[in-house]
Amino acid sequence: MRGRTFKNALMSVLVAAAAVVIIAILVVMIWHIFFSGVRYLNWDFFTKAPAVFGEAGGGVFNAIVGSVLITLVASALGTPFGVFAGIYVAEHEDQRFASAVRLCADALQGVPSIVIGIFGYTFLVARFRSYSALSASIALAFMFIPTTARVTEEVLLLVPSSLKEAAYALGARRSSVVWNISIKSAASGITSGLLTSMARIAGETAPLLFTAFGSRYIEWNMLRPMSALPLQIYIDAGSPYPAQQQQAWSAAFVLILLILLLQYGIRFVISRVLRVKA
Amino acid sequence: MVARQSRSDRRELVRERIFDAVSLTAAVALVATIVLFLLQLFIASKDSRAAFGLPFLWRSEWNPVTEQFGALPMIVGTLITGFGALLVSTPFALGVAIFLADYANRRIAGPVKSLIGLLGGLPSVIFGLWGLFVLVPLVSRFEVWFGHLVGSEALVSAGTTGVGLLSAILLLAIMILPFSASLILESLIVVPAELREGALALGATKWDTIQNIELPYIRRSTVGALVLALGRALGETMAVTMVIGNGIRMPHSLFDPSNTLASAIANQFLEATSPLYISSLIELGLILFVLAILINVAARVILRRGVET
Repeated sequence: MRGRTFKNALMSVLVAAAAVVIIAILVVMIWHIFFSGVRYLNWDFFTKAPAVFGEAGGGVFNAIVGSVLITLVASALGTPFGVFAGIYVAEHEDQRFASAVRLCADALQGVPSIVIGIFGYTFLVARFRSYSALSASIALAFMFIPTTARVTEEVLLLVPSSLKEAAYALGARRSSVVWNISIKSAASGITSGLLTSMARIAGETAPLLFTAFGSRYIEWNMLRPMSALPLQIYIDAGSPYPAQQQQAWSAAFVLILLILLLQYGIRFVISRVLRVKA
Repeated sequence: MVARQSRSDRRELVRERIFDAVSLTAAVALVATIVLFLLQLFIASKDSRAAFGLPFLWRSEWNPVTEQFGALPMIVGTLITGFGALLVSTPFALGVAIFLADYANRRIAGPVKSLIGLLGGLPSVIFGLWGLFVLVPLVSRFEVWFGHLVGSEALVSAGTTGVGLLSAILLLAIMILPFSASLILESLIVVPAELREGALALGATKWDTIQNIELPYIRRSTVGALVLALGRALGETMAVTMVIGNGIRMPHSLFDPSNTLASAIANQFLEATSPLYISSLIELGLILFVLAILINVAARVILRRGVET
């Protein structure tokens, strides 16, 4: 009897210790990233292109532009495929092909990002003989599609079947049931799924290494090499100059802000404007 | 009246057909993507497959100068870092999940859960940045201390950079923890309250209940979650690339610089000039792709069976 209570007490301590260790590490990490990032921030950082290598000053405006453009184009390319594939799986839930599609989406979600990058290189860059932001967007779209498809499916399956059955009973066809009932009642869920997928691809580096390649200039043309925040962080972190390393911390901070904005900020705005709960 | 109805009917039929075709196309495209990836990587690694054949998998020499390539050092590096990270992080992941499900009250559990969620969403390159500037110096100090402890001159003099397998394992362990902890927590939450209450009513202590009721109940989904976490660890690229040191020889100790399949590609692809070098790196990508697909499908099979029983 005493052995049992002793074991109970011991395990409570161990479990709490595990939690404390992990929470401590996570808090230290956040603290580091936050303070190292904020320390070097200034107005130039948001508005200027990088300074000459090794010199202080300059900013990451080129990378911010690149991240926004590449992410937007990738999402625009991926959204129709992802949403419609999700609709297909949700509507043919019990069929064998649909579960094969679902399995493929799951498997694709697990494909390492570097494989996506090398695929983008061999499939697009090597073929057209030029690094470009567009090939980066296409590579990222391959990451965007499976996550979007799975989220869309899950949200659509939450739509009460009584609603859909009522529409079918009135003689509606499947397309109008999906458009007018399912999509409308799942709109907020699908939107937040899209934003989560966007936040995810906005932080990806590996697919950009051999596609967008990076650039030190402010570039708006999607057919040319372009920088992006994750890429800039990687390059700056590997540089021997302290000025570049400091820039990496600040860029990391800006990237996290961008991701949080995508994940929570825009969701909040949408929920206010559309008056739906996202 | 009849004619008008049939016209709108026809229009609706056309819309129906288009809708079916579009959604089917998207679904087929998703499946085709996997085939496309496989084909593209297979074709692009043609030179390397012709030069080395299947022994590419177990040749241990990776030498860009003499153009002799074998994947074994990277495969070993991938497996060591992946399983090492799983080994380090699993006890903590289980601990945190059990803490949040059974011990913490709502005031503590809420913020901790959002902290873990925040960490789970951080980009890999930011973990790499933190690893490079915070974790690696710590590991380097540990190495020197450890070298003095065991009296190894080689370690004290050579192993002071801190980059290498150990840093990669520790960083990966931190990175996969939010993922596995939240998956385990999800399955802990759905353990039926009657089971738990029944055990407690019989006089079981809290830990008796966890050990005999909850852990057996979530065993299968935990294994599935851990396999998924392993898949993530094996394919993780940027963070590992930044702290593993780009070593091309077989690692002999945990302090050695090494490479995983993913980090070898990220580190060397832009420097690779000869077609054989490039295609060997692409073949590493092919191996990684097949590995990732197998692990993910295995995890889904485990998880799905768990739902049925």
